[in-house]
This record gives sequence, C-alpha cells and structure tokens, in this order.
Amino acid sequence: MQQPNRLRPFFENITFDREDNEMIVNFGPQHPSAHGQLRLILHLQQEQIVKAHPDVGYLHRGMEKMGENMIYNEFMPTTDRMDYIASSSNNYGFALAVEKLIDVTVPRRAQVIRMMLLEINRLISHLFWLATTALDIGAMTVFLYAFREREYLMDIIEDYCGARLTHAAIRIGGVPLDIPDNFIPDLKDFLDKLPANIKDYEDLLDTNRIWLMRMENVGIISEEMALSWGCSGPMLRASNVAWDIRKEEPYELYDEVEFEVPYSDKCDNYARYKIYMQEMRESAKILYQTIDMYAETVKNNETELMAHAPQYISAPKLELMTQNYSLMQHFVLVTQGMRPPVGEVYVATESPKGELGFYINSQGGPYPYRLKLRAPSFWHTGILTDLLPGHYIPDVVSIIGTTNIVFGEVDR
Amino acid sequence: MAQHQVNYSQDNGLPVALTTIDKVVNWGRSNSLWALTYGLACCGIEMMASGASRYDFDRYGTIFRSSPRQSELMIVAGTLTKKHAEFIKRLYDQMAEPRWVISMGSCANTGGMFNTYATVQGVDRVIPVDLYLPGCAPRPETLQYAVMMLQKKIRKEKAGNAQRPKRLL
Amino acid sequence: MRAYKPKDDVQKKSYYTDRYWVAPMVPKSKVEDDAVFAADLEAIKTKFEVSDAYIQVEQMVVYIKAEDNVGVLKLMKEELGYTQLSEMSAIDWIAKQGQFEIFYQMLSMGKRKRIRVKCFIDQKQAIESVNPLFRSADWAEREMFDMFGVIVNNHPYMKRILMPDDWEGHPLLKTYPLQGDEFAAWYEVDRIYGKEARDIIGPEIRESARVDRYDTERFSRLGFEVPMGTEPKAKDAEETPLAYQEEGGVFMIDKFEDDKTEIISDRKR
Repeated sequence: MQQPNRLRPFFENITFDREDNEMIVNFGPQHPSAHGQLRLILHLQQEQIVKAHPDVGYLHRGMEKMGENMIYNEFMPTTDRMDYIASSSNNYGFALAVEKLIDVTVPRRAQVIRMMLLEINRLISHLFWLATTALDIGAMTVFLYAFREREYLMDIIEDYCGARLTHAAIRIGGVPLDIPDNFIPDLKDFLDKLPANIKDYEDLLDTNRIWLMRMENVGIISEEMALSWGCSGPMLRASNVAWDIRKEEPYELYDEVEFEVPYSDKCDNYARYKIYMQEMRESAKILYQTIDMYAETVKNNETELMAHAPQYISAPKLELMTQNYSLMQHFVLVTQGMRPPVGEVYVATESPKGELGFYINSQGGPYPYRLKLRAPSFWHTGILTDLLPGHYIPDVVSIIGTTNIVFGEVDR
Repeated sequence: MAQHQVNYSQDNGLPVALTTIDKVVNWGRSNSLWALTYGLACCGIEMMASGASRYDFDRYGTIFRSSPRQSELMIVAGTLTKKHAEFIKRLYDQMAEPRWVISMGSCANTGGMFNTYATVQGVDRVIPVDLYLPGCAPRPETLQYAVMMLQKKIRKEKAGNAQRPKRLL
Repeated sequence: MRAYKPKDDVQKKSYYTDRYWVAPMVPKSKVEDDAVFAADLEAIKTKFEVSDAYIQVEQMVVYIKAEDNVGVLKLMKEELGYTQLSEMSAIDWIAKQGQFEIFYQMLSMGKRKRIRVKCFIDQKQAIESVNPLFRSADWAEREMFDMFGVIVNNHPYMKRILMPDDWEGHPLLKTYPLQGDEFAAWYEVDRIYGKEARDIIGPEIRESARVDRYDTERFSRLGFEVPMGTEPKAKDAEETPLAYQEEGGVFMIDKFEDDKTEIISDRKR
C-alpha cells in the first residue's frame, strides 16, 4: 500500500509509479460492468494492460462446506444460487450426479419435462447474457428488448414451479410436478415469436459499427489456450472446438433430438456473440421437439414423474397417503436423508455457461463426504489473467461481457 | 460579524420554520431516489429486472447510478460476504447524505440460507439499514413496494435530517 | 482473542445409523472391460507405478504415486490425448489416515473419455504444480491451498483465492466448523471497526428467522406500526392499514385511489 503524503496524495483506486510510467488500476469489486463481484487489478502502460490479476471470492458463500453438512435433497435449493441466471441447470446437474450414484433411471415424462426446463433456462441465460453485454457496450435498447422476452420465459417457468429466479424445479429421481395446462400453448407462442426477436437483436447489433469495433478481433482465445484453461461451452466452441456435452456424451434424451452445435474459428468476442445467438435458435429447435415428445408421453399414458427406488426416493403422494410402508419410508428419507452407496462420481452437464460438473464422494452416509462443484465460470474468469494483457481498458468490459461469468458460480 | 445571539445549531441549525419546506424537500427526495447499482448476487438480477422493461423502475424516479457519490439509496441486493464487507462500508461512507439503505433478500437481512463461515449475518452488522425486504429472491414487485414504503418513510422525516447522520457506531 | 484450538472432526454427523447397516458399494468394473481405458492404463503403467485402477460410473480411476503427478499428466496430455484438466481438488482424510487425497479430473475430447487420476499426500507434504501443463491448474491449485492448506510447489502465485488474504484457517478441512471459528465470527467487525467495537455490535445472530417484534428501534411491523423506540402494546396493537400514500394525500402528487386501479390479467404475449 502506498503511503499518502502531501506531494503524493492517496487515490483510492489508482496507484502511480513514476519510475516506469506504470499505473495500477483497481477495477471492482463492485463495478457495474463486472457482472458481479469481480475485482481486477490492472497494470497499465498508458492505456494498454500489461498485467491483469483477477481477484475473486467476494461472493464465496461456502456452498461446498454446506453440501457436506446437508442431506442430498436439502442441498437442491442451494444449487439454485450457484448459477442464478439458469437455476434449473444446476438443479439438474446435481440431480443427475446423485442419480448416477444411486443408479436410478428417470421416467420418460420427467426426462422430457427436464429437457424443457433446461432449454428454457438456456434461453433465459442467453437472453440475459445478450442484455447485459449489450448494456455494457452501450446498447441500451437491446437490454430492454432482451429483458422483455426474458420476462415471458420467466412467466412460463413461474407457471411451472412458482419461482422466477430460484426454481428448485428438479428433484433427485425426476421432477415434482407435471407441467400446467397453459404451459405448452404459452411456450409455443413464445417460440413462434423468438426467431423474429432474435432477428431484431441481430439487426440492431450485427453491423453496428460500435458493436463491431468493440467485438471484432478483441479477446482472441486460441484453441490451445482455451483447452489449457479448461474452457467449456460457448467459450470453447468459439475457439474452434466443436465440443458440446449434450452431443458428445448425451444425457437425458438429447440423443433423440436433432440440433446443431454452432462453432467458430474466429476465436474473438464477435464469434462468441454469434454462437450465443445461434444457440438460442438451436434451443428453440429442441424445445419444439420436446413439445412433440411430451405429447407422445401423454398419448402413451406415461404419467410417472419420479423414479421408483423406495430405498432412496419417496413414493408418489397418492401412495404416501394410502400405503403405510411408503409413509414410513418417506419419514425416514425426509428426516435422515437417503444414504447412497459408497463410491464417487463425477458428472458433467452442459449448462448455458459450459461444463457444469458435480463431483460427489459418498461414504455411505446421508451427507456427501466431499462435494466439489465444477463451475465453468471459475475457469472463464481465470483465463482473464492471460487474455487481458495487450488489450486496452475499454476492451476489458467487452471481454468480461462475452465470457459470461456469474459470480455465484465462480466463488460458490 | 453578526452581533445577534441566534443559536444556529438549535432546531437542526436552520433559523426558519420548516413546515412547508419539509414537504417540498421531502417531495424532491422521495421522488428522485437514485439507487446505487449494488447487485451482489441473485437478488441483483431481480433488481435489474425491476429496472428493465416490464417493471420499469423509472416511474418512481429511481434511476440506477454506478457511482456512490451520485446516489442516495443503496439497495443491498444479495449476499454480503466477509471478504466484501469492508467495501460496502466504504461505499456507504462515500454516498452523500441523506442516504437510505434497503436490504434486499434474506441473505442481506440475516445471512439467509447461507449460515456459513463466509457470509456476514445481516448487513446491519456493518451499515445501518432502513428497510428489510424479505424473500429469496424477492420479486421485482416486492422491491417496488419497498421503494414506495421508503418514500413514505422519507416523507415523515424532517428535511434537516442530514445534519443528524445515521451511524452504526 | 483466544487461540483457535482445532477439533478433531466438527463436521455434522447423522444422528441415527442402524447398527447392522452395511453401506453398499457403487459397482466397480475391471479396466479390461473397456478397450480404450485398458490401452490408456497400459501406457501409464509402462512408465509409472499404478497402485490401483478400476472403472466406476463410466470413468476410469487411476491411483498413482504423488511424486509422479506431473509425469503422468504430461504423458496423458501429450501421448494419450487427454487435453483438458477439467477439475482438480483435494479430499480431507486426515481423521482417518492423516492424508489428503488429490484428484485430477481429465477429459479427452477425441476419445470422449474421462479419467480421474488420484494420489495421496501426507498432511504436511507438498505436491508439485501441474500449472506448466494445464493453465487451469493455476486457479484450481490456489483454491486447493485456500480450502485445505495443501501447499503446491513451483506455483507462480501461491496465495489464497476465495478467502481474504488475512484469513485464518482452511474452511474445507473437516476440523473447521461450518459456521466458522472465532476469528471468522468477528472478521468483518475487526476489519472495519476494530476490535474495540465488538462489544457495541455484539455477536453474530445465527438464527436467520429471528425477528423481535418488540424491538421497535430496528423493526417496524407493517400494518401495526408504532413510533420508533416506543413499546408496542402486546396484544391489541392498533392496526394501521397498509397504504402507499398517507391519508391526507401527498404533496404535489395525485391522490392514489384504490377503486380506480385496474389489474391487467393478460400480459400480451
């Protein structure tokens, strides 16, 4: 820390070093365009960054420790607060990891509903990304438009689970509820309008001179760098690696739906922007197919929503009310928690941000012995160390924007 | 040099009656609450949503400002961690008086579900809070209602309040 | 402040366990069942000592010696095509065997396979950094140091990442209480106001649902408001209806009339 005196007064955020003309600027931890509590310590030569030092942990809430002190079902709402822009994808990642651990298969109808929720969450997340990034770059209009569409999607989610932001909409072994009556018509209405909306955003941004100057050839992440830093999701796909876990290691019913994995070899901010836009279209495509799949399950009268595994998962409500043994089992499962077998599992799913992994080490107790949350944003923040040097101060904002980091997930 | 014996520090330091000026000043203050963008976690997203198209915060005269020096309302939206605590105090001190604080969401109120080593158990341990807003995360409507309640509270205050700053210590 | 005395294991324990209950195992299969994994394991075995290897939940787990970690990962990256280190961290086994278990979660995109490389280190032992191979280890190793106190040799910036620099203790150790030790409890007060303010601010209240309705200094009960600092009547508190505006209207603002409001049910999708 510099010592302030009369000749060299103390500036809160800036340190001047006269000798080598280097200036150290503190960016954050509460900066409007840092997408949360990111603190960057930037060493500047004139306006060019020579060294960047991201400082995270301002939202570290001890989720891993909490998970080790909770039964598995109890932890589900906590996962909501990781990537709070797309809560259900976290719920899903955790549920899938525990399901792999206890080896249950989820009924088909629940799988379809899960896929719907996941893709709606992907749309919400991408729309939010577009809104905030555009706002950071100065495109206020896109922010308002994208939030308008996002609110409609949140209405749909709210109709399903009653919450706007923190859904807790997925349970270990299935989903708690069937979709409500107006869910599919509303979703269809929204999806029919989505291509026109996306076109609106693209018309506003694609050839906008300011947007291009802030995006093109800025923040170039080479393929080696992206792989070495453990990037995933759109960050990796913009760096010429067509890797989508939904496609490569399919979970749920992703092997039954048809969709493309957009990727680009441009490696810059603009490539990532185009990939986000394209992924929204692909999500819409998947959602149309899941609507048909849902209709099929209705036709085949597959009404089960939770897996049947009495040792781990409570019976359906009707059974609880009529069968004595089911009620006893339910009581044990709620008060003591399920006890998965001894073993460990790492399950990766494709969240909107990238590879969301849950590592669970179970020692046969009702609490996980070790729970490691592999959040994509953590590595996407780390890459700023290597990515920012050489760029200019205004580029920092657009680079942070396109990395799409969420601090609930970075700091956990 | 004035020779009279008026004690300016009496009656909030203003030598006039404030029955109507109170109202004028409070009308201005309550209807132009500029809020600091202080989205710390999940609630910050709902705070953004209330500023965005559907909920439109500008109707209340509430505009989000990025600088504490331009804002008089701090909406602490999200979990305050121990690592961040010193910065919230610094930002609060930088805000011009009179200033108000809304603690938005369970985490900011009491630590909420994050009953762990890393979270501050309620922002009121660090800065004084005017309004606690329950919910995890509170809906935008709730935040709007909180701002209305704050406006009502401001209208009850004396305009000379600035000279009696709220301090935790 | 009193010195923090570590406890053996303060982690929450289940309150009831059946005496005769034997926990089942997640099934493990032999590595030979999967041709790709078998080939990879052969390649590792020719150069390094492998103490155990099996397949569990579609992924291969390989136990190596802690000294070989850089060598094995280098071999896997350069010859076997495991180009991404997606996760690494430690597991605390100190209470049981005085050791940490370190795991490296590797991903090969060409083969679509994931391998978990594991090794044990003693409590005070340091491990070599894999940062030169995978940049992602830079932050992962810092996090491991922060959470467990595992020192990593030859790391470019071995400092805390998630907790503040002046934090005491390593939170994910099983000996660390969930709600923090005494240092953690007073951290923000000491940091901002100094230790002398502890008596004024008081200890942390860990009951998150605690609201004292008789404390009118800090709470006002909407609908039953009383002036600040006055005692509310215990039972027959006077009900003050919730309203946005005061009875007499607000200066320079139109009077809000409840019966003239309109609720829009259709959100015009």
